[in-house]
Amino acid sequence: MSASLGEEEQQGRTAPLNPPADSVTGPDSPHASDVLRRLGLAILAITLSFVVSAIFIGLSGKNPALAYWSLVRGAFGSIDSIAFALNKSTPYVLAGVGVALCFRARVINIGGEGQIAVGGIAASWVALSGSGLPGFLLIPLAILAGSFAGAAWAAIPAAMRLTRGVHEVLGTLLMNFVGVLLVSEALHGPMGEVGAGFPQSPLFPEQAWLPALIPGTDLHIGIILAVIAVIVCHFGFWHTPWGFRLRLIGSTETAAAYAGVSTARGFAGVMLLAGALAGVAGAVEVLGVHYRLIQGFSQGFGFNAVAIALLASLNPAAVLPAGLFFGFLEAGALAMQREIGVPSSLIYVIQGLTMIFVLCALGISWRRQRV
Amino acid sequence: MLEMRGIRKRYGAIQANDGIDLKVDAGRIVGLLGENGSGKSTLMKVLFGVVKADSGTIRFRERALVNHTPREAIAAGISMIHQHFMLVGAMTVLENVLLGRKHGAPPRRSEVADRIRKTSADFGLDLQPDALIADLSFGHRQRVEIVKALLEGADLLVLDEPTSNLSPPEIKSLLGILRKLAEQGRAIIFITHKLGEVFDVCDEVVVLRDGKITGKSAIAGATRKDLAHMMVGRDISVGLSRTDRRPGKEVLVARKLTWRDSAGRERLKEIDLTLHEGEILGVAGVDGNGQSDLVDVLAGLKLPSAGTIELDGKNITRATVGNRLRTGLAYIPVDRAATSLVAGMSIEENLGLRDFDQPPFRRRIWLDHRKFRERAKARIAEFSILARHPDMPVGMLSGGNQQKVVIAREIGREPRALIAFQATWGLDPGATRFVIDQVIAMRNRGGAVLYIASELDEVLMVGDRVGVMSNGRLIGVVPRQEVDLAQIGLMMAGGFDNPDATPTIKS
Amino acid sequence: MNYAVLIELLSASIRIATPLLLVALGGVISELGGTFAVGVEGMMLMGAFGGAVTALVTQNLVLGLLASCICGVLLGAVIGVATVKFRADHMVTGLAANILALGLTSFLLRGLFGGKAPVMVLPTIGAIHIPWLSELPVVGPILFGEPLMTYLAFLLVIPVHWFLRHTQAGLTLRAVGENPEAAFSVGANPHLIRMISVMVCGVFAGLGGATLSLQELGTFTDGMTNGRGFLALAAIIVGRWMPFRLMWGCLLIGAASALALNIQGWGLPVSSYVIQMTPYLIALAVLCGIGRKARMPAAIGKAFIRN
Repeated sequence: MSASLGEEEQQGRTAPLNPPADSVTGPDSPHASDVLRRLGLAILAITLSFVVSAIFIGLSGKNPALAYWSLVRGAFGSIDSIAFALNKSTPYVLAGVGVALCFRARVINIGGEGQIAVGGIAASWVALSGSGLPGFLLIPLAILAGSFAGAAWAAIPAAMRLTRGVHEVLGTLLMNFVGVLLVSEALHGPMGEVGAGFPQSPLFPEQAWLPALIPGTDLHIGIILAVIAVIVCHFGFWHTPWGFRLRLIGSTETAAAYAGVSTARGFAGVMLLAGALAGVAGAVEVLGVHYRLIQGFSQGFGFNAVAIALLASLNPAAVLPAGLFFGFLEAGALAMQREIGVPSSLIYVIQGLTMIFVLCALGISWRRQRV
Repeated sequence: MLEMRGIRKRYGAIQANDGIDLKVDAGRIVGLLGENGSGKSTLMKVLFGVVKADSGTIRFRERALVNHTPREAIAAGISMIHQHFMLVGAMTVLENVLLGRKHGAPPRRSEVADRIRKTSADFGLDLQPDALIADLSFGHRQRVEIVKALLEGADLLVLDEPTSNLSPPEIKSLLGILRKLAEQGRAIIFITHKLGEVFDVCDEVVVLRDGKITGKSAIAGATRKDLAHMMVGRDISVGLSRTDRRPGKEVLVARKLTWRDSAGRERLKEIDLTLHEGEILGVAGVDGNGQSDLVDVLAGLKLPSAGTIELDGKNITRATVGNRLRTGLAYIPVDRAATSLVAGMSIEENLGLRDFDQPPFRRRIWLDHRKFRERAKARIAEFSILARHPDMPVGMLSGGNQQKVVIAREIGREPRALIAFQATWGLDPGATRFVIDQVIAMRNRGGAVLYIASELDEVLMVGDRVGVMSNGRLIGVVPRQEVDLAQIGLMMAGGFDNPDATPTIKS
Repeated sequence: MNYAVLIELLSASIRIATPLLLVALGGVISELGGTFAVGVEGMMLMGAFGGAVTALVTQNLVLGLLASCICGVLLGAVIGVATVKFRADHMVTGLAANILALGLTSFLLRGLFGGKAPVMVLPTIGAIHIPWLSELPVVGPILFGEPLMTYLAFLLVIPVHWFLRHTQAGLTLRAVGENPEAAFSVGANPHLIRMISVMVCGVFAGLGGATLSLQELGTFTDGMTNGRGFLALAAIIVGRWMPFRLMWGCLLIGAASALALNIQGWGLPVSSYVIQMTPYLIALAVLCGIGRKARMPAAIGKAFIRN
């Protein structure tokens, strides 16, 4: 229509235009029919991935039915396994809800692992340095420190994108490696435990340990934080002007500009939020599970967060059940490995397949619901 | 060389081509003149095989073309040079020419390069095989398309609005090239809406309007007035409830508004316009004369290189979009799908796109969904929007109802000034009528409206004053009683070389 | 600094750069055709796994290399179908493929061998010394005493460059990545071309992985690629999607890594972990330095939709 349309194509871009959030999620509405559709999509994707994985189990000479049964039993079989699963879900949900919001705003943030790692470092440092403080001060301080560290870690690739046009995918990805190495660095230096056979920090003072939610179990209160985060993000996204702006930014460039919304500010805000949430996840891991900073504690968490966000169709509220699903999956997989001998790395196969199926389904549904 | 007979093509309710006969002889340049929607692009799509005609025959060089594909059309010797080039910017001229080669063994690069150089020399195209397309001006890029066509062995070249992006010297060169091509025995169809060019290069001209041929003439002996009348002659329809108003004080004043695009070309040239209370300024003009740039500058999506804009006395030249909205500006853009509506959001949310972060829709940090709902219900009733419930995604509404949502939002805010750009684009007659009624109702209530459309009918129906966008300038603004169709036709057809001259042609 | 150290550094740079180079060559073919190559990390891992396991079982290196290609192509096919046919988002699909590869290789490593990872006694690709030339001082051992895959990787830069710049097929590929509509309008099939380019990427990335397991490290361990695929992506950007330039990008990263490895022996007061960070930091720094000047194929990541 307009003569200037052809021009944009002639100029190069460094950061590619991520497709509108619609294309990753399909049309947006809290209507029952839409919720059911997305639930159906998630269930279908999971089922398909279980079916395909069954083939691999068969290839390895085991009986898939037995393996899956053991998986289920292992996940729900005992109080301990449930506690384990809930603990596992906590960092996934925390990081996942931040990633979901990022994706909603067409920001592909896969730096969860690095942000979790530095969040853990900061929380550990506070825990180790603040042994004079009482628990009800020390724990919140440590968690807060974790959130700031995570946010800072996300701010770096965000700045790179805003000032130099470096796409956040590569930026956050590379920062992951730096963050993980930073953990090792800290453990071999100021925070390391002398004489330990494994890179880890000294045990935290007991008042820094996250209290148990149900006494007598391993389940720590971190899950409460995760639930709070989901609730806050859900309400923030759907019921505040801030969330409205994110949704606008996630639609198209022109719609956001037309409504007078600043894409740059929205981008920065959601990156910082996601980083902070991941930082909290890191803090929760070291304070509630390991009670120390330990090398490799953040492994794989970042990608899990992305998988969970996708499974939840990028809906903050749905991140909770999606995260729980993966947590229980992991708990069950360990049992499955013990009992049947099927390697627990199967869950990554399931995770990867689920993501691919969800992405394919979302790719088609966008096609059908185009305006 | 070419003979098209009785071409008919219907799109839904619209008869795009209604029994068209077209004859083009070798060595002749035939101009195809008409406004938007006159049927010229459909006719060419039929010729080129992109679209199948409902009825009619085509004979090219003694052979019938029936149900052919574009590939077959090219093989037969028909080449189309589109308005928007099919070129790869990051590649060289040579590479773009090589891209299409399918026949037989791949030719040697040096051979093709030589042929490009030779063709370029023969026709004065000034093209180097190793030049990067992205570095070439629009005029040169167009010549690459011409070279592609020539090297494919085209005997008939169809050029679709070829001069829309060219500067005057480039236009001159192009017309010279076309004449040389015709002298060598090729036939050329030159689609345009600009009278001046028709007179400059064509041997004959065919005028289309509303899918029919309204006139055929050899250039020698034709007058601009006649052709303009053939192009736009119509009756202004009446029957609109327009209260007799004397326009009130000035609301929106733009002075010497200039805008240059990223290639440095002036797309808006010192535009002066004034909107008064209770008045609609209708602006006609064929697409591509700067309309979208003008509205973008007024709405705040682009910053002008020079000039000022004032709304109610406040200088908003460099104000943000948000500030302009708050000062009382409303804007209905042409692109519903990507700009004025968010398909995935509900009706009530789309209605709130402009004021979601202001009270009463915002209560401290929360969005007050009840207020959204209330307003949506009110607007749905007011504007008769056909929707099951206010929170269905707006993407599921029909085009007409979607536009109603946009209008409900923009007009419902009782803005001081409304900019409506192609507000009826893609809508059926019923929805179109609705939009026009709403705009006039707003004007009756004292609002100021800038109404830009490519449908001349609409502009004439709606405007208290009427002007034309031509080549980046706003010209010929006259009150509706003084409108002379011939003049308007000439202005739309670019018939004025001196844009500042007041129209002096009297009927 | 004496000669021996310099030679050691150069030699290590080349050795580390080799798998990166193979992966980057594959990645650039995919990206020039319009598909983001985020999944190369997974393809590389699949290749490393397939090559190692096949070589272990058959004790035949050729079969191992062949298997690595096939494994890479398989993952490439998955990515291709998802992105081309289902129009799934390129970047996230690549990520999912990486996770899938990680899980699948770890799983099969144990699952195919009765539940425990086997002891990796692999035939490895040894150095090939070109007679007489490899005895030249300094350049001899470096340029003429390298293993097979290294020669292959660096030599492949030439035909890949020639293919992209001087053949009709390469021209069409690049057109699909820049302006698929234009390519379509002259008779090309953008969907088919993208699909093929992703699978070819799988071949290259698979070979890169095999280089890692069969030549450089001589074993397979879980997740052994450890981000090399992403470093290759950075090298592609640094090299502005041109084969010869990305070769230098890979060498740069290889040099940074080699320096990191060797510096630890010099007793400098810098922690080894900080040194290990350098390849990633350098990649980030170079990306920032290039900034917006890096112009990627115009239609990359955008699905081609036939009207």
